[in-house]
Amino acid sequence: MNQISKWSSLALSTTLVAGLLAGCGSNNNNEDNAASPDTSSNTGTESAAPEDTSPLTLTYYSEDPSPNWANMQDEIGKNLTEKTGITLDAEFAVGDAVQKSSLIAASGEYPDLISAKQSIAKFVDAGAVLDLTDLIDKYAPNLKKLFEGNMSRLRYSDDDHAIYVIPSYNGIGQEYFNAGGGFELQHRVVKELGYPQIRTVADYEKAIKDYLALHPKDENGNPNIGLTLNADDWHMYISVTNPAFLATGGSDDGEFNINVDTQEVTYHFRRPEEKEYFKWLNHMNAEGLLDPESFVQKYDQYKAKIASGRVLGLIDQDWDYGDGEKALKAEGKFEYGYGHYPVTMSEDIKEASFWPTGFMAGSGVAISVDNPDPVRTIKFLDYLASDEGQVLMNWGIEGKHYNVVDGKRVIPQEVNDRKINDATNFTKETGIGLYNLLSGHYGDGVKDPSGNYYTTNFPEQIEAGFNDVEKEVLKAYNSTTWKDLFPKEEEFKIKPWGAAWNIPVPGDSEAVVIEKKLTDITWKRIPEVILAKPADFDKIWDAYQQELVKADVEKAESIREDLVKARVKLWNE
Amino acid sequence: MKAVTTSVQQQTRKLKRERNFWRTAIRNKYLYMMSLPFIIWVFVFSYYPLWGWTMAFQKYKPAKSFGEQDWVGFDQFKTLFQDDTFYLVMRNTLAMSFMGIIAGFAVPIIFAVLLNEVRSMAFKRFAQTISYLPHFVSWVVVAGIVTKMLSADHGTVNEILMWLGLIDQPIQFLAHGHYFWGIITISDVWKEMGWNTIIYLAAIAGISQEMYEAARVDGANRIKQIWHITLPGIRSTIVILLIMSIGHLIQIGFEKQFLLGNNLVRDYSQVLDLYALEYGLQLSRYSFGTAVNIFNSVVSIILLFTANGLFKKITKESIM
Repeated sequence: MNQISKWSSLALSTTLVAGLLAGCGSNNNNEDNAASPDTSSNTGTESAAPEDTSPLTLTYYSEDPSPNWANMQDEIGKNLTEKTGITLDAEFAVGDAVQKSSLIAASGEYPDLISAKQSIAKFVDAGAVLDLTDLIDKYAPNLKKLFEGNMSRLRYSDDDHAIYVIPSYNGIGQEYFNAGGGFELQHRVVKELGYPQIRTVADYEKAIKDYLALHPKDENGNPNIGLTLNADDWHMYISVTNPAFLATGGSDDGEFNINVDTQEVTYHFRRPEEKEYFKWLNHMNAEGLLDPESFVQKYDQYKAKIASGRVLGLIDQDWDYGDGEKALKAEGKFEYGYGHYPVTMSEDIKEASFWPTGFMAGSGVAISVDNPDPVRTIKFLDYLASDEGQVLMNWGIEGKHYNVVDGKRVIPQEVNDRKINDATNFTKETGIGLYNLLSGHYGDGVKDPSGNYYTTNFPEQIEAGFNDVEKEVLKAYNSTTWKDLFPKEEEFKIKPWGAAWNIPVPGDSEAVVIEKKLTDITWKRIPEVILAKPADFDKIWDAYQQELVKADVEKAESIREDLVKARVKLWNE
Repeated sequence: MKAVTTSVQQQTRKLKRERNFWRTAIRNKYLYMMSLPFIIWVFVFSYYPLWGWTMAFQKYKPAKSFGEQDWVGFDQFKTLFQDDTFYLVMRNTLAMSFMGIIAGFAVPIIFAVLLNEVRSMAFKRFAQTISYLPHFVSWVVVAGIVTKMLSADHGTVNEILMWLGLIDQPIQFLAHGHYFWGIITISDVWKEMGWNTIIYLAAIAGISQEMYEAARVDGANRIKQIWHITLPGIRSTIVILLIMSIGHLIQIGFEKQFLLGNNLVRDYSQVLDLYALEYGLQLSRYSFGTAVNIFNSVVSIILLFTANGLFKKITKESIM
């Protein structure tokens, strides 16, 4: 015990030292700030000279993990270094990314390139990132072309029109060809039951119940599990709380629901519709269809459970449970894979997974004040955003990873097979998919001047990627992709603010603490109401609602509403 | 007049003491020089960071110089003491700490005494090695093992209880708040028991064998020997360790609670360090986090001195 407390106090002292360093470091930052315009004007006059490709190593921090990162020793990475001279020394957050970003922002020693999603606000507050407006204007013709018409969305806030971030998470003109969310059922379930309609929670429940009645155990004698949820840490959002608004016709605005016409903001758990959703989950639990370990299991246990093939139903996103399903596919158990269904509380509610947001700036790459050469950095990012760069990032190297046949880019069969069946090694060797979050890019479904798609996600390619069981199930539902089952983008009115989870909250706003409190309450209460005896549900739900009001939920709503309105003004003027 | 003389006397005495100090210092200059690196080390890592405590009285913003910070007095502490969560967190911290101290003392002492009585050397060594191995396993792994064992889905503990017929439905141990403190305490004992035993075994080894022989001659049986020789022999070790762990009462770390906790038991699993992390650092409220840390340190110092003073009075043992 002594050991542990020593470590924790050491950790805290380190934080304090880090904080001190931040205080001392600010002078340097100012110097750098002053120095950068000089460098840019110098190089500006020499821009006619050949490109500088002398070796330059830039440090890069990303809030998203990239487990297959090969230190740019992959084929695309080598190619990029050859073309631009730049090597990235990357660090990816593992574990609590937001905390990691806070620490870096407080340390005063910034990586050269920072990709910190919503945490970028901390770097902006600390004065750690450069305004890129002039750099883009002077040195980045490709980025300018890419963001044409969306430039006003790149601006940071209504008070600060500087561009700190090159948005790299959302592709321009992105179209979705497949659905990865909704409610999931194993193919064997729908197949055995003769492909019933899966549209409402009642349909979904019936399918699970009927299948369990037929097959209470799997071939090894272990009981099949009706529905399991993933509630470990932030997965709670993905698998437990977000489905509550999706199943009641709300779209993803983080923890809030925003009226598309009036922009009135409600903490989404306060909507009466959602009470019904959680009541249904409570009922599922009472019926014994919900895995009793849902709120106790850790993420790895959840994935292991899926990989065992015993779980009939999920409410999750494919990227969240994908590892478990991959294991099943690798064993050839395709009928244990999952299909996606647009399940809502009743048939008159539209599943809003595809509610359009317009181009979403916000998350992306920033250049820090410590960057030794912002001009070459922006040129590097510009190269990545060029037609040549984007094809390289997405398709790989011509003749190796794709061929051009009659003016069309084609991925040879053996390359595609490796891409699907040996994904990890393929990514490590080729680097395809490792560089997409580094700079602005076009989304799926956009064609380059040669008439080919920029990305490798296009309808034909996605359909080719389905396995036979998936194709069979889709055919039974008269669809070619899972998305065909969901309501289309055109059926909704575009949200003029993008999405609320993409609007940064100023670090010193009261909302920060209130929202943390609200999350604490919700994360504690929601599992409680789901696992409660059905007779106690209403009582606990009312207590939960009162607790929210006591924790100032109304204040948080009004702060959010102001932020949303400011964003609407910023993006649409 | 008399007062003046005494003060003069005092001054000369003080001067003399100072001169003596410098004389000894010069005489032992190599010893002093050898200790210098450690003094620097302590200064750099324990005292210099104290400067950061100033943050708790500011509305600290990174990348602003010291002079530019907003000074807010005791506002951060006020926020802290007005927060309901803080009291809940204190309750959990103290509860788990006390349970940890009681179990963490009783079990290793009993185990050490018992091991000492074992005649077979081979078995003694074996038992000792086996029992301290878990100490080297990280909490992440231990948490995994504990979760698996307590699982309702073929967990060992539930299987055994069912087999014994004590329960007829598997119990979700990790889903009930009132089990949580116990689970933490027991897993901590399992992990650290063997390791903590070593120090007592060493103390027992230091007890002279002649005392046992004398006791045997006087007709003391084994229980009597334990009670009158072994336990008094290790009393000072026990007291010193106890004082130190009382000093650490509210600094219990958060690995165990963080790794074994889940949202269902949140009201029982959140501890002070976790609170400082979640409501301080993660929300970029550096000042608030520092305020929690200061509170933590002040309470620890008070506890340490109280415990030390009490034991000095009662048992004449102390560490200062």
